[in-house]
Amino acid sequence: MDHASRRFTWLYAQSQLKLKYRYTALGFLWNLLEPALYLGVLSFVFSVVNGMRMRDYAVFLFSALVPWRYFEKVVLTCMDSIVQGDWLLRKLPVSPFALPLARWIVASAEFLFSFAVLFLVLAAIKDRWTLHCLVLPLAALPWSLLGLGLGLVCAALFTFYRDIRPVVQMGLMFAFFSAPILFRADLFPRGSFQASMLSWHPATYLAALFQKPIYHGAWPGLRDWTVSFAAAGVSLLAGVLMVSRNRGRFYFYL
Amino acid sequence: MSGARDVFGLEAVSVSFRRGTIEERSLKHALVGLLRRESPRVHRALAGIDLAVSRGEHLGVIGRNGAGKSTLLRVLARVITPQEGRVWVDPTCHVVPLLELGIGFQPDLSGRENVHLAGALMGYTRREIEDRLDGIIRFAELDGFIHEPVKNYSSGMYARLAFSLATDVEPEVLLVDEVFGVGDEFFMEKCVARMRRLMAAGTTTVFVSHDLDFLARQCERFVWLDGGLIAMDGAPTEVAAAYRAHRGTS
Repeated sequence: MDHASRRFTWLYAQSQLKLKYRYTALGFLWNLLEPALYLGVLSFVFSVVNGMRMRDYAVFLFSALVPWRYFEKVVLTCMDSIVQGDWLLRKLPVSPFALPLARWIVASAEFLFSFAVLFLVLAAIKDRWTLHCLVLPLAALPWSLLGLGLGLVCAALFTFYRDIRPVVQMGLMFAFFSAPILFRADLFPRGSFQASMLSWHPATYLAALFQKPIYHGAWPGLRDWTVSFAAAGVSLLAGVLMVSRNRGRFYFYL
Repeated sequence: MSGARDVFGLEAVSVSFRRGTIEERSLKHALVGLLRRESPRVHRALAGIDLAVSRGEHLGVIGRNGAGKSTLLRVLARVITPQEGRVWVDPTCHVVPLLELGIGFQPDLSGRENVHLAGALMGYTRREIEDRLDGIIRFAELDGFIHEPVKNYSSGMYARLAFSLATDVEPEVLLVDEVFGVGDEFFMEKCVARMRRLMAAGTTTVFVSHDLDFLARQCERFVWLDGGLIAMDGAPTEVAAAYRAHRGTS
């Protein structure tokens, strides 16, 4: 990416963050209130539905739900970024990476606020804190890169085929409900079909990067790190290749 | 091959646009087309263009609607990558495309914020824009409005700010596509005067316009495009006369 595109990406992302709350009464506070309200409602509903002890379930649920929401937001907002950037890409020689990257920066900034809220909420409901939580900034990295990689792949595909949006949305929904985010992975007996399915699900390992330090008070295993970073690396490589190889074709489909 | 003094060199450049209905943009249609091995219908906007533009040259591109003028300008600006042929752009030249005024402006941002954002698109650093900000505001005659969102500007104010930014940065190459409807008559005179100053200082300029008289006053060379091909390339008076004769209006 050239210097002008890099600078524009950064300034554009900053402006989008500024504009999001510029005309709201509570302004910047919404960055904190929005995830707090979301987590509050969800913990109440699911603890009632699952009949679990609310505090315990909330700690489990929030630990992987916050990174999942970030990942999902990155993929979905990156997907239409090139198409919605036609006002720019049809007029100036800007790198097609600029717009998905700007969306990724905005989503990452919002994730940092959600992360801060997560800790405030956990401080109120979690009984025991361990050193394992120090690994969380590193645990966020594969989530972020996986989201960006898939977002770039989707951005390229969506430019050519607009009807992939519902396919991606359905795919994300399936991935979410089949991953051990709402339920615990050890719910199913070893050797069962469900347990076997979870062992093939990349989100199982990504979720473990947050669930183990926060909920179980343990370090994520080597397998968790390996699968998570491998999935992130493959998706990022695929995304970069998809956008690079098609950069000359996008104009004709905008 | 492009010469040592050339800023742009085009060799056998062709650009085609896919034609098709909205339904033909679907995944289903793509899969069916793949199975039936159908070739997409295309419109050829440029058909094997050879062109060289020298440093400091002022070129006017004329032709009827749909002749390929704007496509040519976008190829020079590297916005469009041609499917065939070669494009060479002097990598040492700072090219500013003025294909539309206010590209990159965000309606809810202030004039000042937009100058920084759009300035970044033109390749300028924060420091460079800060140094020029007063001059940009003064030229655009927006002293009392620069901190207001540009969505509150009149169309003239908006265009003045955009033109002021694009031309204050003193580009080495300026690509201009029909943007001289800026503000009122007095401001338009100011804009033309600034363009002439840039051109006199050596800025290479490629204009696309339907206003032949305006182009003839600014340019020393005309290229007439017709149906994606160069119909004529030469002195403005000769090319304009041939073009008018072709249209039956001379």
